[in-house]
Amino acid sequence: MKDRWTDRLSEYLDGELAPNERIALEAHFSECGACRQTLDELRRVVARAQALDDRPPTTDLWPGIARQVGVGAVVSLGARRAQRRLSFTVPQLAAAAVAVALLSGGGAAWLLGRRGTVAAAPSTTAGGSPAPSVANVTDYAGDARYAAQVADLERALERGRGRLDTATVHVIEKNLGIINRAIRDAQSALAADPANAYLNLHLAREMRRKLELLRQAATLAGARS
Amino acid sequence: MELTTPGVATLRRDPDQAARDAETADAALAASGDGRAFERLYRTHVNRIHSLVRRMIGPDHADDIAQDVFVRAWTKISTFRGEAAFGTWLHRLAVNVILARRTTLGTERGRYDDSEAALDGVAGRAAAPELSLDFEEAIGRLPSGAREVFVLHDIEGYRHDEIADMLGIVPGTSKSQLHHARMTLRKHLRE
Repeated sequence: MKDRWTDRLSEYLDGELAPNERIALEAHFSECGACRQTLDELRRVVARAQALDDRPPTTDLWPGIARQVGVGAVVSLGARRAQRRLSFTVPQLAAAAVAVALLSGGGAAWLLGRRGTVAAAPSTTAGGSPAPSVANVTDYAGDARYAAQVADLERALERGRGRLDTATVHVIEKNLGIINRAIRDAQSALAADPANAYLNLHLAREMRRKLELLRQAATLAGARS
Repeated sequence: MELTTPGVATLRRDPDQAARDAETADAALAASGDGRAFERLYRTHVNRIHSLVRRMIGPDHADDIAQDVFVRAWTKISTFRGEAAFGTWLHRLAVNVILARRTTLGTERGRYDDSEAALDGVAGRAAAPELSLDFEEAIGRLPSGAREVFVLHDIEGYRHDEIADMLGIVPGTSKSQLHHARMTLRKHLRE
């Protein structure tokens, strides 16, 4: 049975009725069992909706996505080179800049200070052999595309180095040294605590900072040619 | 972070915040071309995105559209600025992709059918035991306008003004569609 309040019950349930309407409806509930029952049923619908579980697709979509975006698939060397060239498009470099703007902050300085007491985590074992690789570290440090970007930017910077004045070169080298030290410290700390989300974030942040600094420096060197 | 001794910091981190930070880092890595970081983001969010697509559009095109959402996310990830959680950003992108594809698929036609007949048709199927539907299926049988509003409001938690903006309707229509959807679905929850 419907009455003039039936179509307002969802608004009541969601707290969207004006105060005077809410009071009037609550008075109506005392004499209308049908509205009370409907309200209870609507509550159950909302609760049921909020309790729905998300289900996975029946097939993994990643292979198709990877193919479309050009990652994670076996590609020819030529295609890889093309991808590497693509990785230097303006939007992607802008993305790196955005990432740096997002992520850079006081944390690096704090962590560097903090790592001063614990960053002695060995990069080699007692026997002098390399420490076991750690998944989280290699996920970042072993990224060939990242390494390629850095290497290309370093070469570009080296080519334009002569166009920069001595003071600028000094500032760039000093900051690169700081960032490289932060990266090494983060990698060492992650070797001891690979699941540490903050350290993983910090490492990513420093790697982005390095990429951005190199990009800016290379741009600066190129711009003065 | 709190300072307990001068120069010595103790880090206290909320696990949820740590997860959000890790996702922000992965988004930054993905923006610079790191496919593995993007795959981690995919693995984290695929169930939610696929479920959203399936509920909004139906199962037939869910895989295709969910895949498209992630491809679009890859191309637009440089616009993610970390002001909200990555999942929130991705979810809004997914809604936009779904709404755009809805037009292509022609499901927008008649989606704001308020008629009792359209809604009763959904409920009527549930009355027959042999056609009993589970709740997800009952949602899928709602007229598309009521279904979209119900999914966005009651499952995904958007407000009526946000839904109205997304769907190009007025908030009053969103409220009306939501109520119709709930009134229809309540019949499926009766014993």
